[in-house]
Amino acid sequence: MDRPKYSPSLVITVAVLGFIVALAFNTARGMAEVRPERASNLADVVRDLELQRVNLQDRLGELRTRMDAYDSQAALDAGVNDSYTRELESVREAAGLVAVSGPGLRVMLGDGTDVPAGSDPNDYLIHDTDIATFVNALFAGGATAIDVNGERVVATTPIRCAGTTILVNSVRLGAPYTINAIGDAQEMKRALDLDHNAELILGAYRAQYGLQVSTTPVQELSVAPFKGSMRPVYATSAGGAS
Amino acid sequence: MVLLLALALGVALGLLTDIAIPAAVLTYVGVAVLAAFDSVLGGIRASLEHTFDDKVFAFGFLTNTLLAALIVFIGDRIGVRELYLAAVVAFGIRLFDNLGIVRRLLFQRKGWE
Repeated sequence: MDRPKYSPSLVITVAVLGFIVALAFNTARGMAEVRPERASNLADVVRDLELQRVNLQDRLGELRTRMDAYDSQAALDAGVNDSYTRELESVREAAGLVAVSGPGLRVMLGDGTDVPAGSDPNDYLIHDTDIATFVNALFAGGATAIDVNGERVVATTPIRCAGTTILVNSVRLGAPYTINAIGDAQEMKRALDLDHNAELILGAYRAQYGLQVSTTPVQELSVAPFKGSMRPVYATSAGGAS
Repeated sequence: MVLLLALALGVALGLLTDIAIPAAVLTYVGVAVLAAFDSVLGGIRASLEHTFDDKVFAFGFLTNTLLAALIVFIGDRIGVRELYLAAVVAFGIRLFDNLGIVRRLLFQRKGWE
């Protein structure tokens, strides 16, 4: 039995191996228990994080303040928006784009029924000028909204004739003509009486030619909205006060 | 007996120095330990077989350790950190192979077989 001879290099290697394993053991132990310098490092980290948290809280407060400012600004904008909407609504109402109702006067204009032979049939008919006369008189009497057979009279409304028919807003209307005017019925009636032509139609011509004309005060009258286009093609805004 | 003494000495020195290995190189150290273990067992086996050669031992130890370190390094670089497992497995198999042979040789020497 010969004892094996171990080379010095092998012995040294074994020692080194033991050394490294011991170091690894140290490391594992160092991870298990926090070393003092590591603890101070962690304390630094905690301090840093606390500082960061304070900074972030400050930032959060600042952002909240700004958010509040934006919110109140938005509320203000909403108010402005509301007032614009109201203004737009009133403008649309004034322009005749919405249906309106209220007390007023209803004027019926119908042609004469019996046309005797040899007489001018034009005398027995309601003409565009007659309607225009009534509309103007009603406006003079303080009417705020007028339609003729459901055609709203607006700023650009023509009342004219084409052949045998009357056009209002370029819509052909047939007799009888019903004019609904919202306003003070008595005032408007007075205005019709004061208007020479209207007074003739309601009085002398009605008796002479048998025209089917009448005026009726109505408690609750509804006037149709303007249904046509209002785009000014040639007119452009001259600026100034709106 | 000499080997056990050397091992004890190394462990004692290591525990006394109280040096911790940085986490970054822990994998390298682990693989290096395995390589050293493998070389040591191979050396013991060779010694028992009377074929031990200093040059072969030193060269084997060096190349094993370097290749293991290279594999870990490459694994780190290409993002496949588990690559070091290849070295661990290879060294582990060789380790147990050598351990079995050493054990048999020791048994033979003691006449237990």
